Amino acid sequence: MRRLEIILSRLVWFIPTLFGLVFVVFFISNVIPTDPARIVAGENATEAQVQALRAEMGLDQPIFVQFGRYVADLATGDLGKSLYTQRAISEDLLHRLPATLELTTAAMIIAIGLGLPLGVISAVKRNSLIDQVVRVLSVSGLAVASFWLAMELQMFFSTRLGWTPLNGRVAGWGPDEITGFYVIDSILSGDWASLWDVLHHMLLPAITLALPAAATLVRFTRAGVLEVINSNFVLYERAMGFPPALIIWKYVLRNALISTVTQIGLIFGTLFAGAVVVEAVFDWPGLGTYAVQSILQSDTKAILGFSIIVGVVFIAVNLLVDILHTFIDPRTLK
Amino acid sequence: MKHLVPLLCSALAVMTPALAQAQDRYVHANNSAYDTLDPHTVRDVARVASRLNFYDGLYRWVDNPPQLVPWLATDHTVSDDGLTWTFNLRDDVSFHDGTNMTAQDVVYSFERLLELKRGAGSLFLPMIDPGMTKAVDTYSVAFTLKEPSAIFAALVPDILVVNSSLVQENEVDGDMGQAWMIDNVAGSGSYMLQRYDPARGFIGERFADHFAGWGDKYFDEIEFRTVLETNTRIQGLMRGDYQGLDGYLAPDQVARLREDDDVQILEEESMRVFHIAMHNGRAPLDDRNFRMAMVHAFDYDGYINEIMQGTVARNPTILPGNLWGAPDVPGYDYDIEKAQEYLDAYKAEHGDDIRPIQIGTLAGFSETEQAAALMQNGLSQLGIEVEIESSPWPVISSNMQNPETMPDMVPYWKSTYYVDPNNWVGELYASRYAPTRNVSDYHNDSVDEKLEKALVSTDQGEREQLYADATTQIYDDAAGIWIYNTKWFGPYASNVKNVRFCPVGNGQDMRWAYLDD
Amino acid sequence: MSPLKRLLADRAASIGAAIIAGLILVAILAPWIAPYPEDVTAFHLSERLQPPSGTHLFGTDRMGSDVFSRILFGARITITIALIAVGVSVAIGVPIGLIAGYYGGFPGGFLMRTSDVFLAVPQIVLAIAIAQTLGPSVENVILALSLTYWPFWARLVYAETRALKSQTFIEAALALGASDWRVMVLHILPNTASAIIVRTSIGMGATILTAAALGFLGLGAPPPTPEWGRTISEAREYLPEAWWYAAAPGLAIFLVVMGFNLLGDGLRDILDPKLRKGRR
Repeated sequence: MRRLEIILSRLVWFIPTLFGLVFVVFFISNVIPTDPARIVAGENATEAQVQALRAEMGLDQPIFVQFGRYVADLATGDLGKSLYTQRAISEDLLHRLPATLELTTAAMIIAIGLGLPLGVISAVKRNSLIDQVVRVLSVSGLAVASFWLAMELQMFFSTRLGWTPLNGRVAGWGPDEITGFYVIDSILSGDWASLWDVLHHMLLPAITLALPAAATLVRFTRAGVLEVINSNFVLYERAMGFPPALIIWKYVLRNALISTVTQIGLIFGTLFAGAVVVEAVFDWPGLGTYAVQSILQSDTKAILGFSIIVGVVFIAVNLLVDILHTFIDPRTLK
Repeated sequence: MKHLVPLLCSALAVMTPALAQAQDRYVHANNSAYDTLDPHTVRDVARVASRLNFYDGLYRWVDNPPQLVPWLATDHTVSDDGLTWTFNLRDDVSFHDGTNMTAQDVVYSFERLLELKRGAGSLFLPMIDPGMTKAVDTYSVAFTLKEPSAIFAALVPDILVVNSSLVQENEVDGDMGQAWMIDNVAGSGSYMLQRYDPARGFIGERFADHFAGWGDKYFDEIEFRTVLETNTRIQGLMRGDYQGLDGYLAPDQVARLREDDDVQILEEESMRVFHIAMHNGRAPLDDRNFRMAMVHAFDYDGYINEIMQGTVARNPTILPGNLWGAPDVPGYDYDIEKAQEYLDAYKAEHGDDIRPIQIGTLAGFSETEQAAALMQNGLSQLGIEVEIESSPWPVISSNMQNPETMPDMVPYWKSTYYVDPNNWVGELYASRYAPTRNVSDYHNDSVDEKLEKALVSTDQGEREQLYADATTQIYDDAAGIWIYNTKWFGPYASNVKNVRFCPVGNGQDMRWAYLDD
Repeated sequence: MSPLKRLLADRAASIGAAIIAGLILVAILAPWIAPYPEDVTAFHLSERLQPPSGTHLFGTDRMGSDVFSRILFGARITITIALIAVGVSVAIGVPIGLIAGYYGGFPGGFLMRTSDVFLAVPQIVLAIAIAQTLGPSVENVILALSLTYWPFWARLVYAETRALKSQTFIEAALALGASDWRVMVLHILPNTASAIIVRTSIGMGATILTAAALGFLGLGAPPPTPEWGRTISEAREYLPEAWWYAAAPGLAIFLVVMGFNLLGDGLRDILDPKLRKGRR
């Protein structure tokens, strides 16, 4: 019951936080130096046409009225239309969401697969050469600008060596679209050539994205494991003659895992933020590229929609992590 | 029977994958996104490929120098008062779904253009009112203009005809099919839409029944893919991922591509004038002496020979040097001493105090940034401070259309939308186009008189003289800083042949090109 | 041992401190130590894109300017952005956290929920939205970063204040008749200082990375400003041939962020004994 309570209290905050986010982003993006009506009207429009369009788009209304309309539309899942395409922004975003989720998930898997073992090894073999190397790497991983790393990796592995594809999610048009997640789609349709191609394309961007996250994980895992190792009950068990391997495996790792799960929400944020620039470098047709394009075109409503959908995904992931946490670490229920 | 053929074809394709492989494909990497397929809502060079390959206009611009050739229409007549234009249509044009094209489709398409007010529609609106287009009979259509127009013919290729019955079937709440046309094609063009993803691009499949027929060789399939990064496009072409890129590459990139044996660079004269628009309505730029100082403070040779590496030709006025009507005048030269003399003359009249000059540049277009930096360099030698502000094109473009927010100077290109001097000198310096296209706030009664006269005159010789005179006057007024006329460098894989380049459309009309074995 | 001595005893932290000291020195002395200080605005078009050599340590860029000199001047922009943005974030975040944590209740809850709103999206997303709206300039980058980073400090100080408030010495001070303000400023704030300092050092690194990303996306300072992120995006067109053009600013960012992170780690060890145990 306590679990349900925690989940409910989180859900209750979901709506006001989202509303706050919409409020903030809406007003931020309405200090615009551009005139959306003029953009829609096009280069050749006359002043009268622009005025007419402005009225049609509701831009002649006071800002609070515009905000009210926006929120009302939002409640029905309508994020407005893109200034350029007149396409529904929600449609645009949902179409691109799988690409970004697929990339961030791959990066997350790489980050955990890399960060967790390295963090444990580094802690167990404290102050050894391995520990030193891992620590230097993890500090470096956090200091490097991901867009720069992406460019340099692309230049080296794709351009110079030709080992990896240059850009995009897939060479041709990809597997038949079922879920929009190409890995899943190619497995579902049994298209193994596509699966290989998709994974090949994903390799470099996912690694680029994963490195800073892996560095964060290494640091947290190392600190967490050290704390457990130094704690009294481990010292006690060690005194009782339990084999060290068993202690590490049974107590230390379990506790380390708990602290890692807590970090996943945070790391997901790092990955999503990184995706904005990494996608831009690798021409990955996801939300990040969409955001960058909207920026270049000053498509304010699209940027607004992007912020909102990222906020929703972000809040949802954190909610999920909290719920997961109550299962893994029952202490939180007390 | 109608369904049987495609069924058989797809069955064959499945059974004989080798045969499907042998089809010739062309993959083009484009620098901006194909976010809509509606031919009536956009009219830019960046997204021209979907309009050219999926749709046909009444006339069409082909080759270089551009020729206006009959396309869906066979010919036209103009009434004596110059108001009514009657076009005779071909009777053998079928849309992709097999429907025969009639005058009714033309009327619907044109009314749709006017109704949506975007793309080419806003260009026609000042000339003709909605409801003034009539189907005379099944295969002829008449447009009745508000006033005589010398440039209407040049705009006729922009009347892209859609399959009206198909669009009407897909109308929602009287939106003239706007929602549907974003993702679908209802045209008669050389290629039929096969796949489309706004995040990636589109694939077109050859329309064998196109009225204009086909040569011996052609591409069975064309794909236009969005690849935003210049460097990725270039690397992709060199790796063989793509067979062609958009032209207008920076010279550094052209030089790199030339070294690759698998890549050919097609070179064509073009009509895209790079200039720095000046705000003639705001002090100190409202003074001719000051503007004369400006035009002598830009390092034309440095820009053309070093930054552009000599790949473009100096263009002394706003009119492309290879277009009729361009006057024969020498370009202003980079001469700081001369500039100082003019500046001194200005100061003698208006005092020594000169405020900083703002230059707006187009974010992501490094040539504009480099031009601004060069201008800054020149003006600093005259003791004039320069502030550069970089903004995305939509921002700067909407700022330019308002004399209050127009920066003092903006370096940018004027591309070819139709081949008539009015596209350049008229739109940029005639009062009738202020402030939306005449962003310089330039007003000169005598120039206006000539440009207006040229718009309604039907005598080619007279028009040529009028444009030459008006352009010379604008040149004497130093109303802008005119720098170069672009050459087009079309990068293609070496085995792509017969790309027919036209400045309107940048060689992206793919119906003639093919792969050489 | 004094904190300073302990800092110097920690190898990583002292390296970090040295890097930052170097950065500040370079930023101040840029006009004197740069081999071609005029190259921030001046061009030598005939010397475009030359590889590193004795005359041009890091080669030249698309305008023929000396990359090394421009990197040195770029340090000024980077340090200005980071200092002001983090300074403003601290100035907004700390009082909010302090007040919310001290008074609690509805106003405290409201303030913290507000900070939740800003934390609901990755910082760069909001910063992009703000910077895009305001137009590209150094001032707007600073504004965007300040507006998005303050909640981190608010959160931190809030948690610390909540913990401290129930402590005996605070209750004693209140019992002796000290005003709320006095307690907050004289008793609670000093006790949160070490946490703030650690967070600030690490926050500087994160801010520099975000600022560089904004520059890379074209939302930063306009050309010909030698901002590092924008230099990288300029250089992209010339890869892989002109590798030095992008490598130099990338390494500069790496070095500086590394400096702040190392210092932050070291400071945490010294100032926060609780965490110290775990790290060794």
